[in-house]
Amino acid sequence: MKIKRYLVISGPNMNLLGTRKTSIYGEGSLEDIHQGLHQRALELGVEVDCRQFNNEGAIIDCLQEATGSFDGVIINAGALAHYSYALRSAIGAMLLPCVEVFISNIHSREEFRHKSVIAPVCVGVIAGFGKKSYLLALEALFNLGDVK
Amino acid sequence: MTKQVAVIHGPNLNMLGKREVGIYGGKTMEDINSELEGEAKKLGVSLDFYQSNTEGEIVTYIQQCRGRMEGILLNAGAYTHYSIALRDAISAAQVPTVEVHISNVYKRELFRHTSVIAPVCIGQICGFGAQSYILALRALMEERFDPWIA
Repeated sequence: MKIKRYLVISGPNMNLLGTRKTSIYGEGSLEDIHQGLHQRALELGVEVDCRQFNNEGAIIDCLQEATGSFDGVIINAGALAHYSYALRSAIGAMLLPCVEVFISNIHSREEFRHKSVIAPVCVGVIAGFGKKSYLLALEALFNLGDVK
Repeated sequence: MTKQVAVIHGPNLNMLGKREVGIYGGKTMEDINSELEGEAKKLGVSLDFYQSNTEGEIVTYIQQCRGRMEGILLNAGAYTHYSIALRDAISAAQVPTVEVHISNVYKRELFRHTSVIAPVCIGQICGFGAQSYILALRALMEERFDPWIA
């Protein structure tokens, strides 16, 4: 059986994790998150490919190429979540399940963060559990099976 | 002492598996509860299940969680979108609460896109069917995920 592969995309400023606003985003780095994902993937018998982009267009390119190479996508679009209709269209065009994650609880922050324009084209949303949000999203994708 | 977590099902969730299965799936509330029991055993926690269609009863139950429960999994159903009373009960209870939805509320009617309880919960999980509850329990309890949280 073919090993399942998941693409993990972190958006703008996620490369700064652990160095800025640690009261909101925590102390760990993006590298820590990726390590945690690789470890969990190993336990589940799947593969993850973790990437980070500050550039909106680069994320769109990456999503357009994902179909065929991956079985699902985990995306933390950062601030782009709240206004990038281009990203929404790219996710909608993709023939893969996508799970949206946030490190912080966006609903307890500024009002402009309460709305995600990509959530309607994702399978579901996991927000507020620190870096654990990513690991839960991996489990969610892995167990998706009977859910659309 | 075993840690206790409350699982609260709001209005109409007693009808799961019997109504709008296209949105909510074929599993009943009892099916979900027994899956949660299995997960709780693995995590070494005990669950207190509660379902009510009445807003005020849920408010009272949440108040009673204070000091007794380690956490709350809350699927407030439609109350999510307008019950400020529920929101006040959650913030007064001071028990970490995870907001759960079976469906992806953001794919549905606009009035479901706003959750008045989300700002006082630690986080939100929606869209994964019955699995949303399992993930929420793990989000609350599983220590192995915690080292990264500041």
